[in-house]
Amino acid sequence: MVKMEKQRITLQVNGEVHEVYAFPNMTLLEVLREELHLTGAKESCGQGACGACTVLLDGLPVRSCLLLAREAEGRQVVTIEGLASGGKLHPIQEAFIEHHAIQCGFCAPGMILTAKALLDRTPDPTEGEIRRALAGNICRCTGYVKIVEAIKAAAAKEK
Amino acid sequence: MRLPPFHYLAPRTHAEALEMMRRYRGKVRICAGGTDVMNLLRLRLLTPSYVMSLKGVAGLTGIKRRRGDFAIAAGTTLRDVEEAPEIRLSLPGVAQSAGLVAAPPIRNVATIGGNLLQDTRCLFYNQSELVREAAAPCLKQGGRVCAAVKGSKRCFSVYQGDMAPSLIAFGARAVLKRKGGGRTVPVEALFSGRGTRPLFLGDDEMLTHIIIPIPKGVYGSSYQKLRLRTGLEYPLISSAVFIGVSKKGEIDRARVVIGAAGPAPIVDGEAAASLIGRRPEEVNPEEAADHAGSIARPVDNLAMAGQYRKKMAKVFTKRAIEAALAALGKAGASW
Amino acid sequence: MKEFSIIGKGSKRVDASAKATGEALFTADLSLPRMLVGKVLRSSLAHARILNVDTSAAERLPGVRAIVTSADSTGEKWGVFRYTQDQAFLPADKVRFIGEEVAAVAAVDEETALEALDLIKVEYEELPAVFTVADALKPGAVLIHESNPGNINVHVHIEVGDVEKGFARSYHVREDTFAAPEESYFQAEPYAVVARFDNAGNLEIWMPNAGPHLKAKPLSNCLRMPLNKVRVRKITIGGAFGGRSEISPADVICSLLARKSGLPVKVAYTREENTIATRQAHSMTASIRTGVDREGRVLSRDITCYMDGGAYSSTGPIATSVPFLCMEQAYRMENVRYNGFRVFTNKPIRGMFRTHGRAFACGVDLQLDMIGEELGIDPVSMRLRNARRAGDHTPTRSFVPSCAMTETIERTAEQSRWSQKWGKLPPYHGIGIGCNSVQTGFPMGIRGGSSAFIKFNEDGGATVISGVVDNGQGNENMLVQIASEELGLLPEDIQLITADTEVTPSDPGSYSMCETFVGGNAVRLAAKDAKRKLFEVAARVLEAKPETLIAADRKIFVRGEPDRSIATARVIRMALGKGQSIAGEGSFWPKVDPRREWVDNPYGQLSETFSFGTVIAEVKVDPETGLVEVLETWASQDVGFALNPKVIEGQFEGGLTMGGQGGMLTEYHLWDGGRLLNPGQLEYRLPLAPDMPRINPIIVESDDPAGPYGAKEAGMSVAMSAAQAYVSAICNAIGAPIKEYPLTPDKILEAIEKKGGTGESLSKKKV
Repeated sequence: MVKMEKQRITLQVNGEVHEVYAFPNMTLLEVLREELHLTGAKESCGQGACGACTVLLDGLPVRSCLLLAREAEGRQVVTIEGLASGGKLHPIQEAFIEHHAIQCGFCAPGMILTAKALLDRTPDPTEGEIRRALAGNICRCTGYVKIVEAIKAAAAKEK
Repeated sequence: MRLPPFHYLAPRTHAEALEMMRRYRGKVRICAGGTDVMNLLRLRLLTPSYVMSLKGVAGLTGIKRRRGDFAIAAGTTLRDVEEAPEIRLSLPGVAQSAGLVAAPPIRNVATIGGNLLQDTRCLFYNQSELVREAAAPCLKQGGRVCAAVKGSKRCFSVYQGDMAPSLIAFGARAVLKRKGGGRTVPVEALFSGRGTRPLFLGDDEMLTHIIIPIPKGVYGSSYQKLRLRTGLEYPLISSAVFIGVSKKGEIDRARVVIGAAGPAPIVDGEAAASLIGRRPEEVNPEEAADHAGSIARPVDNLAMAGQYRKKMAKVFTKRAIEAALAALGKAGASW
Repeated sequence: MKEFSIIGKGSKRVDASAKATGEALFTADLSLPRMLVGKVLRSSLAHARILNVDTSAAERLPGVRAIVTSADSTGEKWGVFRYTQDQAFLPADKVRFIGEEVAAVAAVDEETALEALDLIKVEYEELPAVFTVADALKPGAVLIHESNPGNINVHVHIEVGDVEKGFARSYHVREDTFAAPEESYFQAEPYAVVARFDNAGNLEIWMPNAGPHLKAKPLSNCLRMPLNKVRVRKITIGGAFGGRSEISPADVICSLLARKSGLPVKVAYTREENTIATRQAHSMTASIRTGVDREGRVLSRDITCYMDGGAYSSTGPIATSVPFLCMEQAYRMENVRYNGFRVFTNKPIRGMFRTHGRAFACGVDLQLDMIGEELGIDPVSMRLRNARRAGDHTPTRSFVPSCAMTETIERTAEQSRWSQKWGKLPPYHGIGIGCNSVQTGFPMGIRGGSSAFIKFNEDGGATVISGVVDNGQGNENMLVQIASEELGLLPEDIQLITADTEVTPSDPGSYSMCETFVGGNAVRLAAKDAKRKLFEVAARVLEAKPETLIAADRKIFVRGEPDRSIATARVIRMALGKGQSIAGEGSFWPKVDPRREWVDNPYGQLSETFSFGTVIAEVKVDPETGLVEVLETWASQDVGFALNPKVIEGQFEGGLTMGGQGGMLTEYHLWDGGRLLNPGQLEYRLPLAPDMPRINPIIVESDDPAGPYGAKEAGMSVAMSAAQAYVSAICNAIGAPIKEYPLTPDKILEAIEKKGGTGESLSKKKV
């Protein structure tokens, strides 16, 4: 049985530098939730299939449950907690609220971050592009209809 | 669920990485994008003492166009492969394969090398310890008989990588390095056809590049994948076809590769041979695909029954041939 | 039609913001000081006697703070009904399915807990196991529960009229058998529990639940504690879909670990545990014999249904009855016989699921299509001729006070342009319809009612205290809308204290679809009570009669004279000044027949009202692969009144996705004996955004006489009708019936090949 030693891991999360001491087998998701108490990213499948653990890594949506925390060193991590600024919600968050794109809320952080990454890259996506960008985010409650509407509305507002 | 315990290795140079592969051979596992390996770790199908990150090693990502071929570094993400204009233009089936893997967030970190070198999969193998402990270990777990085809002494686990069929169709070669040496082999030569040990890969070897020759003249390609949803799916059957046409207007090059039918991609020489010499408009894709349906012998170890997937081997090969023909000469428009 | 200011509008939900920012805390997000990690040791045998559990090595592992086995439990057995109590958490005698809980550990971190589990040694004596209904019913089969000969858990027998005479009179009779394997809930949030005891022996516990009060009482039984010491706390919940209403072994195990260690403990299930160790949906076969008259009206039906219940009863009698009850509500029948059998097998436990009974429901509707084809009557007409109407009694004698089933059929058919499509679509292009109905509340004895309190602050705000729980469907917002409308305040003036068993009065929970009807009514009554008291004070000030007063916009004023007004805040302060603290209290108990019992007496008013839904789906089938492309769907439901149209649309959309897209195309479980091969989202296929068709929600309102503002329930009828519509459409597309679900491409291809691949649609228009 391997006897691990805790190591210093330096992470840049939501614009802040964090130093944690953690075992090398910890995933970014576990470090975010357990060491940094950023519980917005969640575990729903444990297989990298559902997207509830989504964070942005250098602007791209990734599965934080499939990423060792060490692998995220030196890169910019953005979690849902980093979206609102100065007490003001991000336009995508506003759109999700306004368009009833959130029901139970468990998939919402991952969904919103994926949407943000999409709009950052493709400011005026078609419905097909939105749906394909969300192919890796599972929602059990909404049927995706109002999620797509919210993203369209957020894109339109930014124009 | 926590991953099993391991030591984390972070080589900073290529040479250091190869030295670590040698020093810890048999006990070390590379974590490139991680999207495949992490699940195997979490299920404790793999319990390496060392996990080696390639993050700090320069030169392991990037697409280089050279004279006559592309050299794609093994650590290039599938997203980069999918979106690279030069790959979409010159190797459309390869870009198509990359774009069909899983879903965008997976492709953002998954690598072409990791996808190529993935282990075979099976409903009875890729399970948690709780499920595995509730039955005798299967062949792939080191046991004595197959759990999917009860009692069989052969392992039918399925190679479900999307990149391999297209890479093979384009005649790609894999560059492998170990400390003090290396070898370059056709991609199809990596596959043993045995589910218990699917890859001919030394445990001190590292894949560094995939070299894909740029076809000359008029050609078309396609990768067709059977999946039940538009995302998150491994192929249940797939087919990659490459067709090249001579100046005389006859097919002079063809490759048909069937994926996800068994432990290795199947190069269907007969199906390809049946295309050679014909003019594209004379090809009957259904006839040409017939052989694919007969050599594919999937069993009931994935979500859909083997019989159905066998039928689909023919259907998807037919569609791949049709699409490859339709794409002849149209750069980057095979799908 | 009365004009409302707040209800009836698609206003933003009050809980959305916290969820959008990640601030909302689900159970696994909780962190308490010195909290331990709890892990459960599970049986890897499907059926075995437990001979010995040796925890000594695990106890010696540094970092382990508590271990529990059956020795630590009271041996109390759980079952929703007193006569089905068969599940001891941490059993002492036997394990009955792979994954059953045998022991549990609380340790300082997850690594230590996992290591400790490996050190616990369990000695079993393996027993033969049965994994299918057929095997379980075989004479001489091993008994899973000694008290249940033949492994029959529940037999529901319902007999109305004279079924044989009805068949004799019928113009046409069909008999078909339909089957479907089990599905699963796949709530986004995997189950988790956090528990802590204080020094006075009070338990605080958090877990996703469909009714905290439904959890508290069994917990108090299992832990032998009085109810006032068991506090099930409010927590954000990531979906229930019919599950999470019963006490779970994890609830008791976590509590025992917390008590034994003296520290808070968190048990967070993996996805696999959520799938195998909470509940699944039942697999089922349904043999349906239906006789109709020349016009396709059903005269007689005889149904026999076998359900695989897994290893324990859970909601047994309810699950065995509900598919039949939904059908008898949806369709008129003079004569009907039902024999429902729930059978034990050595598989994970099955419970009530949002689309429980897909084989049954789809079978009933597909059979109507087939009968219609044989008589030359189109599917929509078949539904219309048999549709339930307001004022009817169901065969088991529930009065139906409001019903717009016919309107849901007509409007959906119209919007989908059914008559321009059916029978006229190209080969492999089909359209189909499904109709169903759902109860708004089951009889639940002393826990069937809801009560609510409202208190006021001197500056005019109010707090509503209600046991209503929100699993994501928008119940909290519903209460705020109702309270603010009734009190004439704004939504932002209303705070909620909900779903906390120490503070909030009893409520039946969201299970059984009654939160709007029962919980919403209770809050409305509490608000009316408060308003009456406010009006008494205001009337004196305004020198008007209380019955002439209205509350709106934070004011109380005389109807028709908006200037004769007084701020509500002022009224509150004036009352306080006179030594009167105004508060509201309300209770609502649905009028159900208390003598109705699922097994012994399945007759009488089942629930006070019912909802009705229709879905139409249009599909294209690829005849070479059997893959289905769903082109467009129309989903309508009689919700009584739409308290919040946007919320209701969301329920329709989610329900259709779960029941139709998932339930009929990709969702089913794969087994190797008792081993579940697809417990996770990689191999259990949930619908994804790019696969979804356009969904057109159609809200129909029948204005129920007893519902709050006429509201009933929203979404459940759509979930089930969607499954039926998908089947109907796909079979129409290929021109052949398929009786085994879900309709995976291999089944569709087989049906096409059997038919000879002519591509004709099941749609010869003969009218």
